[in-house]
Amino acid sequence: MCGLCGVFLGEAHWTDVTVGGTDSGGRTRRHERLHRVAQANRILKQYGLKLGDWQGSAYLLGSQTGQTAIVPSVAAVWPAAERLRKQSIDPLDARLIQVLEQD
Amino acid sequence: MTSSNNLTPVNVLTGFLGSGKTTLLQRLLRSPRLARTAVLINEFGEIGLDHLLVQHVDESVVLLQSGCICCSIRDDLKTALRGLLSRRERGEIPAFDRIVIETTGLADPGPILYTLLSEPVIRHHFQLGNVITTVDVVNAGLHLSRNPEGVKQVAAADRLVLTKSDLAEAGQTAAVGEELARLNPSARIWDAAQEPLDADFLLDVMPSAPPPSEARYRSQNEGAGVPKGLRPHTESVASMSLILDRPMDWTAFGIWLSLLLNRHGDDVLRVKGILCVEGSDTPVLINGVQHIVHAPQHLARWPTDDHRSRIVFITRGIDQGQLRRSLEAFCRLRAAELAVA
Repeated sequence: MCGLCGVFLGEAHWTDVTVGGTDSGGRTRRHERLHRVAQANRILKQYGLKLGDWQGSAYLLGSQTGQTAIVPSVAAVWPAAERLRKQSIDPLDARLIQVLEQD
Repeated sequence: MTSSNNLTPVNVLTGFLGSGKTTLLQRLLRSPRLARTAVLINEFGEIGLDHLLVQHVDESVVLLQSGCICCSIRDDLKTALRGLLSRRERGEIPAFDRIVIETTGLADPGPILYTLLSEPVIRHHFQLGNVITTVDVVNAGLHLSRNPEGVKQVAAADRLVLTKSDLAEAGQTAAVGEELARLNPSARIWDAAQEPLDADFLLDVMPSAPPPSEARYRSQNEGAGVPKGLRPHTESVASMSLILDRPMDWTAFGIWLSLLLNRHGDDVLRVKGILCVEGSDTPVLINGVQHIVHAPQHLARWPTDDHRSRIVFITRGIDQGQLRRSLEAFCRLRAAELAVA
């Protein structure tokens, strides 16, 4: 646990692992996190939600009504988003796929 | 000898009741490759194991809060592995360099893999090796049709071992082999009754050459004939092999897969693939069983000259056309809105 802010510093989730990163001339870790947030927001904006990086150690998920949730990994974003929206977010949903195809 | 990263490999040997797990284990333990292996077994069968390090494990599962059954810690396994580690460190037992876990016939492989991949102490000392699943050719139809664990064991396999093919009727082995190749195209198949034991093939993550029987099942399976016998029992389970020509954005893939597993993890029995990732000259191995995904692994080199991404999905009741369309749509996500340069 971080002694300053009380955040549990756990193992990196597999979605947070940088693959093809700095060693091969790709993105830095910080750049990768921001890239991940931007990518996730392409999905979340369809549901009126927005994700942000939180101190480089977690993510802050917010709704248009001001509800927020702090989550440790991108994988944890989806159940939190479904709780905030009270609806499922299904990557196989034909409407979502169509929006992404036209995006 | 431990692996190059000093983690001790752990192989999971599973398969339905009476499918020949212990017989295979006996044969394997005679191989020099497994001379310094510790064995954890869930049940003592009639066949005795004359081996230096054999420990019995009582089955108990601790379900995590709000967790699904696959994401549960096998408390017995955790205790056994930690105990072996501790005794090895203290020099109380011979220094083993591999562990084989023989599961019960009814074991769901999910919690075992989850324990190996997520328990903090275990994951720092051990790494998951190949999952080896035995399939009794004579009774495969019965096992797979009546027991969902049997299908999960096949889906989780990296190596499928056909047993009792010497007792099978004419054509039965071919039908079972073809159906297994359809169910889990990412697994390599070996016929234990017909071919000499090849420990390297069973244990190596990237073996050099497939055994002769495997090519036979694959070629027959690709011949578009409907295999007789098993298909009606396993109809809701389907596999799909995807080949992607262009390098993938790992982040987009991770977002898509985590979202898919969040909503459909119970029905995604297996994801296994070798990925060509943007920014990486070497391939990345992705491997998941239901909600559980291994940390992506960089391989030192491509196994062949074909450097395209190849992913196998084994799913239950999921429209595979929609799955493909969804992955392609997500992988087109670009970082156009990225705030930093």
